[in-house]
Amino acid sequence: MEFKLEAHRIVSISLGKIYNSRVQRGGIKLHKNLLVSLVLRSARQVYLSDPCPGLYLAGPPGAPLQLPAEPAAGPSAGWGEPPPPPAAGLETEPQPAHPAAPGALRAGDAEPATTVACARDTLQSGEAAAAAGGAGDQAGGSDAFPEGPRETRRDCRCPPGVEGQPGAPGAAPHGDCCAEDEPPAPPPIGPRKRPAAGAGGCGPAGRPAPGSTPVKKPRRDSEERPGRAEEGEEEMETGNVANLISIFGSSFSGLLRKSPRGGGEEAEGEERGPEAAEPGQICCDTAVLRDMSPWSTAIEAF
Amino acid sequence: MGEDTDTRKINHSFLRDHSYVTEADVISTVEFNHTGELLATGDKGGRVVIFQREPESKNAPHSQGEYDVYSTFQSHEPEFDYLKSLEIEEKINKIKWLPQQNAAHSLLSTNDKTIKLWKITERDKRPEGYNLKDEEGKLKDLSTVTSLQVPVLKPMDLMVEVSPRRVFANGHTYHINSISVNSDCETYMSADDLRINLWHLAITDRSFNIVDIKPANMEDLTEVITASEFHPHHCNLFVYSSSKGSLRLCDMRAAALCDKHSKLFEEPEDPSNRSFFSEIISSVSDVKFSHSGRYMLTRDYLTVKVWDLNMEARPIETYQVHDYLRSKLCSLYENDCIFDKFECAWNGSDSVIMTGAYNNFFRMFDRNTKRDVTLEASRESSKPRAVLKPRRVCVGGKRRRDDISVDSLDFTRKILHTAWHPAENIIAVAAANNLYIFQDKVNSETH
Repeated sequence: MEFKLEAHRIVSISLGKIYNSRVQRGGIKLHKNLLVSLVLRSARQVYLSDPCPGLYLAGPPGAPLQLPAEPAAGPSAGWGEPPPPPAAGLETEPQPAHPAAPGALRAGDAEPATTVACARDTLQSGEAAAAAGGAGDQAGGSDAFPEGPRETRRDCRCPPGVEGQPGAPGAAPHGDCCAEDEPPAPPPIGPRKRPAAGAGGCGPAGRPAPGSTPVKKPRRDSEERPGRAEEGEEEMETGNVANLISIFGSSFSGLLRKSPRGGGEEAEGEERGPEAAEPGQICCDTAVLRDMSPWSTAIEAF
Repeated sequence: MGEDTDTRKINHSFLRDHSYVTEADVISTVEFNHTGELLATGDKGGRVVIFQREPESKNAPHSQGEYDVYSTFQSHEPEFDYLKSLEIEEKINKIKWLPQQNAAHSLLSTNDKTIKLWKITERDKRPEGYNLKDEEGKLKDLSTVTSLQVPVLKPMDLMVEVSPRRVFANGHTYHINSISVNSDCETYMSADDLRINLWHLAITDRSFNIVDIKPANMEDLTEVITASEFHPHHCNLFVYSSSKGSLRLCDMRAAALCDKHSKLFEEPEDPSNRSFFSEIISSVSDVKFSHSGRYMLTRDYLTVKVWDLNMEARPIETYQVHDYLRSKLCSLYENDCIFDKFECAWNGSDSVIMTGAYNNFFRMFDRNTKRDVTLEASRESSKPRAVLKPRRVCVGGKRRRDDISVDSLDFTRKILHTAWHPAENIIAVAAANNLYIFQDKVNSETH
């Protein structure tokens, strides 16, 4: 259990570093980002291989049940709706592509819903993470997600995908994130937390427009970007890091789904198998774990 | 600039005497020249300050060769790459002196992208007695010139002039981490994260790529080059270290592209020490050949290792610098300290090695006696001519009076850059914006 918490924490920290590296003076440092991505990978492996998962899924008993419903309702609901007011205190940036369906959950579970939607969003814009992570155009992103608040608050509503560490890692960071923010209302959020690091988030960075169209755009951008980097003169390529994030993004969404099957939009298919199996396990958690609120687990981790 | 800090004592040299530390003043590299007469420092603001050792004078026996500021110049400026929308930092990553071939001194300084060759000359005479110009340089009225004279050189106050002689630009896509002058005194190499280039000192518009570890698909990237150095005697040999903790010795005679190493120095990982951060702490931050050329010194996050060129399987000596940090790696990862790149240094006879640590501590290991010492570079403990007191970090258990506990170490104060005089026991230690120069007491007494 401790390993998982530790891994979770490390993943969220790593994502934060990758995100911050994009705004550092002097450009992205390849060496440091490589090391961070290695740590991220190790932590993720530990996280996913640890047979004692599901801490983050803890939350109000109702939450997990509603989760499966979320994805269904998500996309159709208001993508792009700003996060619910209770949690709104945590963030001011509009979160595109947040399903409105969570309205029901909004009281306490806004985050899970949004995160679910975001996860779904991530699936759809698998590369969005890549775009967010790799592309340096977070200037646009910063419109939607000012980097200041993002960094400091590790906003729970961070768009999914980017940091993606979806699935297990995602859950943990989320808890941590909530822990760091002043938890206004009980945040049964659990797994949904998306590390603030990373950029892009659901929806295209800086494009709060709801709907799936904006979602697709970032993916195209991200796809273009690595491509552009390859052709022509050499550029410092950090696409590997971004792609790593997109890998996480896809598996994250897999974790969120109750059913092992991922969406058709899964970007990285090979990750789905093992992870898809796990989500099933994770979701049907023991009562004990379910009772643990993500807050307490997050606090424990610190 | 140096003139206002005239309270230079034998143990202290300050670049700035401010109570706050501006980021630009933080020293980023320290290097003695081949005779030890000059000491160059580079800082984050792109400036280079050169110190010169005063000749020992009988009149002031105590002032045994103190280092005073000799010259200061702005080497690099911040740049902006418009195509990639990247700012290029002006921080001086490395300075390397060229062997002196005439009255002038030359050094190479580099930031992330551009290497520059600077020539440092002295002017202590000037011609006087021109026929056509008067003292101020104004043209004379020819009608007043009644006789001709030959201008003579008269002494003047020493003026040190520094001029950029070469700019080696656009050779690197990634950040340059090291430069090394070849023993042939004609070529030098520069290494970035993925490539190493060979330059000729006189040719700036082209360089040869001799190592390229960039994978075809960047997603397959697993390691980067962290440091590299030419062999001190064999102009065809060089070594480069990687982020995975391995060293590769390459022979330029074997092929134009030295992707295939001649020797690979790698120590198998200790499985009992495996953690999330094993890869980070095994990354080599500095590699230095011994003066003899037989050994190499490497520094990773927790240890310094001495390697014999004849044995690739493992280092011949391993010294723990601050093993008590092994249990704190997660916190050090959080505050980014785990990414600190410490340098290491040999003394002139290759019998003692030195490296920095946290809390402004630096450590020396005597390879022969196997004794080690921890010293601190701080204003409080470094009164002029005071003998440095050895420090100790206690890791629980019995605590002596002046011990520092691991938890009270100041991780914001770190010694990353150190240099050892090539012949004498004089060391230069950089702590943030301060440069400390220490001399061996024993040596000074025998003078």
